[in-house]
Amino acid sequence: MSEIKIIFIETDGTEKIVENAKLGATMMDVARANGIDGILGDCGGGCACATCHVYVDPAWQAVVGNPDEIEEMTLDMAGEVQANSRLSCQLVLNSEMDGIKVTVAPLV
Amino acid sequence: MNSSQPSAGSACPYSGKPLADLSLTDPLIQAYPTSFYQTLRSEEPVHFDAKLGMWLVSRYEDIVTLLRDPDTYSDKHGYEAQYASGYFEEFKEILEREGGGFFSDAIKSDPPYHTRIRKLLEKAFTAHRVKALEPGITKIVADLADKFAEKAANGNVVDGVKEFAIPLTIAVICEQMGIDQYNGEKISRWSVAITAQIGRMQNRESMIANAKEICDLQNFIIAQMKDREQSPREDMISDLVHASTEDGEKLTFAEAVSLIRALIIAGNDTTATAIGNLLFILATKPELAQELYDNVEDSRYMNRFVEELLRYAPPVRGLAKMTTCETELGGQKLPKGAHMLVLYASGNADETRFECPQQFDTGRGNLGSHVAFGVGIHRCIGASLARMEINVAAKELIKRVKNIKLAIPMDELKYQPTVATHTIESLPMLLERRV
Ligand code: HEM
Ligand code: FES
Repeated sequence: MSEIKIIFIETDGTEKIVENAKLGATMMDVARANGIDGILGDCGGGCACATCHVYVDPAWQAVVGNPDEIEEMTLDMAGEVQANSRLSCQLVLNSEMDGIKVTVAPLV
Repeated sequence: MNSSQPSAGSACPYSGKPLADLSLTDPLIQAYPTSFYQTLRSEEPVHFDAKLGMWLVSRYEDIVTLLRDPDTYSDKHGYEAQYASGYFEEFKEILEREGGGFFSDAIKSDPPYHTRIRKLLEKAFTAHRVKALEPGITKIVADLADKFAEKAANGNVVDGVKEFAIPLTIAVICEQMGIDQYNGEKISRWSVAITAQIGRMQNRESMIANAKEICDLQNFIIAQMKDREQSPREDMISDLVHASTEDGEKLTFAEAVSLIRALIIAGNDTTATAIGNLLFILATKPELAQELYDNVEDSRYMNRFVEELLRYAPPVRGLAKMTTCETELGGQKLPKGAHMLVLYASGNADETRFECPQQFDTGRGNLGSHVAFGVGIHRCIGASLARMEINVAAKELIKRVKNIKLAIPMDELKYQPTVATHTIESLPMLLERRV
């Protein structure tokens, strides 16, 4: 398997399913390439802008794990942060994430 | 709580005048812009400044709309129309004759070209890469802070801008670029010369003087590139000389010169300005200086402090864009070719976005949504590096000094004459060493 499925829920509730997300890419890259609303990725994945903020479905939280300290600091500035918040540019896709569901956080 | 905002004080040079009689070309407005911005936002949020010949964009919402639409608002054309305004041909000639060529700025461009150039630079500036530089930079800053505190310890007046903020940012750039300190000292002059090209306050005489400085800078860069071509080193000049894009394409010589120039300059004045603002605020808000000291080991507080500093006192005031077609912004019809000045500083003070904007409040819920670094595809590439430098500067300084005060009355502070940044030129101050 070199591709996995990701389910994005946009801020207005629209569900968008990407079937061919490449392993090793970041979730932000996949979202941008597929025109997911609300994932902007201004800093190109540098963990510096928080415009790629998502809420990971609780069922998948264990799979993605917790943010490191640097990501936490960037998230702290993002607003509307929840316990399941992640910056999608820091989520490198692996095979365990096949079928993962995330909700796009509102841009504050 | 406006005590440290001279702009809001009685010195207001234009209260009561109609907007049509005011211009951002007025050095007094440049120095104390707060109420001018507020008037713009409330009366005419997209306003044509006739003297400047540009449309001022002052509301947060309009700024973000514009910056998120790079197809309608061209960075390249906005920048080029601003560059060496009024003297461009002569400026270009001097550079071609004495500076190795005229190299247009590769990063000040539009997609898809911009996307390719930007990708190449981004990797070097991620928050994680920058974190790895922190110990080295802390050493440099601690050293400088020691000297600064030492000199001030005997009751001497010290200059927070010239003796701390500027040498600090230059030392960091030299370290990063692999430039020795001797040449580092010229960087300050070079920065001023480049920044003047987008500041709109240049006369012909100063244009010529600045062009010569830029020739000097380019000749320096070209020599450094030759050196790295022969013997690569672990520094950013080497990286750029040997860089290739994802599709294996190499940068052209002209692109590489322009990018090295951009990286030497873009982070210099801006970060030094932020650190100058830091010192100004510490000198004029003793309660905040105490709060900073009390929280110096709390990294969450420190990050928020830096972010609020950038919101409250943004170094970059205004950069240019240009419309590529007829359009409308904030209820204002704009023709094709309208030269826009995006007032980041006004966006950060927009009361509809930031409650009590003149209040320095590290607890704001929407702290991270300020526009001091811009937003969209041109969002500052050096943001993580700048944040870290300011963070380390604040930490290392407040650990060493207390009772920070201005050594001159507030209204004698001088600001650089430019529409591009809001920069304190010199900051005489007194402080005591903590024992
Ligand atoms: C506090 C310090 C700084 C501030 C306030 C600042 C602010 C900005 C702003 C407002 C922009 C333009 C956004 C736009 O076009 O709308 C920008 C772009 C840029 N900055 Fe910074 N900057 C800072 C530090 C740095 C540093 C340290 C570097 C690198 C060494 C840097 C490199 C750049 C570059 C290369 C661009 C152009 C990016 C592009 O057009 O894609 N800046 N910065
Ligand atoms: S893309 Fe900027 S933090 Fe993720």
